[in-house]
Amino acid sequence: MASLVGAFAASHGPLIIREWENVPPGQKQRMGDAFRELGQRITAAKVDVLIAVSPDHWSNFFLDNVPTICIGVGEVNDGPPEPWMKAFPHREMPGHAGLGMHIVETALEQGFEPSFSHRLKMDHGICIPLWRMELAKMPRVVPIFLNSIETPMPTLRRCYQWGGLLRKAIESYPEKLRVAILGTGGLSHSIGEKTMGAIHEDFDHETIRRFGGAPEDLIAFLDEGLPTRGNGSEEVRNWLVAHGAAGGRGFELVDYVPSPKVIVGCGFASWQIN
Amino acid sequence: MRDYWLSKMFFDLQSPALAAQFRADPQAVMAKYPLDERVKRAIAEHDAPFLAGRTNAYLLRYYFFAVGMKDDEFVRRLNG
Repeated sequence: MASLVGAFAASHGPLIIREWENVPPGQKQRMGDAFRELGQRITAAKVDVLIAVSPDHWSNFFLDNVPTICIGVGEVNDGPPEPWMKAFPHREMPGHAGLGMHIVETALEQGFEPSFSHRLKMDHGICIPLWRMELAKMPRVVPIFLNSIETPMPTLRRCYQWGGLLRKAIESYPEKLRVAILGTGGLSHSIGEKTMGAIHEDFDHETIRRFGGAPEDLIAFLDEGLPTRGNGSEEVRNWLVAHGAAGGRGFELVDYVPSPKVIVGCGFASWQIN
Repeated sequence: MRDYWLSKMFFDLQSPALAAQFRADPQAVMAKYPLDERVKRAIAEHDAPFLAGRTNAYLLRYYFFAVGMKDDEFVRRLNG
């Protein structure tokens, strides 16, 4: 059977690539180290398949079709379409059709209703962390796009439940596979809003602290706080998926770097899997 | 609200080729979309607050990036 061997989260702001050379050296070092640390943990866990949970940043979907959640079931997916991501070394990336479809089928059996796609473009949301992690060997990647950029969005509670569902699906998949989950995005930031550039450090620290407490308290805190902490902060949904998969126990904070140059409160986390 | 065709144009302008065409001749690109005159004027005037009320914030930011506006100027206009 397959097993869950890791759960991680990392920020993915575009300026982590576009403005990298202009990030102050101390912050650049810390962010680089944090990404590499996650990469080393993925390598050490001998991950065969990485389930990457991220929003679609208008790369695959438009207003004529906005899936709340879309599971990538393709044998292969495309690398990032953004012109400023063209130096990313993977134009096509192997998925895992069997596991992807098993997740869809398990979800439907359990009363979840995902969309699915046989070919997705994996934009910067997934590929920035994969790039900056400097992985020696890229695992197969099953992308999951969870809408956190266009309202209405899935509830935070449902995102947390998706984590438990993913774990159930992984652990009932008959092939011997080592699987990890990577939630990307967040923490606080604002894109295309009047507040663009604002980082809410206090809110981020409190969010991180509450990941160590009861999930219902964390969710209540986020439900109340997210609407005034910038639209990018909504991406913490992907952290909740990782959190749910790991059983709702707190994570190890690898680092938190609020970086005005990349306009994101950059967070990096690793969950213990029991 | 969502102005579908305005949003669609912003979405399509993620294409570098179309963005280059837009920078050279915005009227020609706008003519491909059924935009109302008030929206066309807002685009011509870089009226970010008006446009913000009609599209997704990420698409708005992509648009101003595509036309080469600096972030500082974009945020200043949004708050104008």
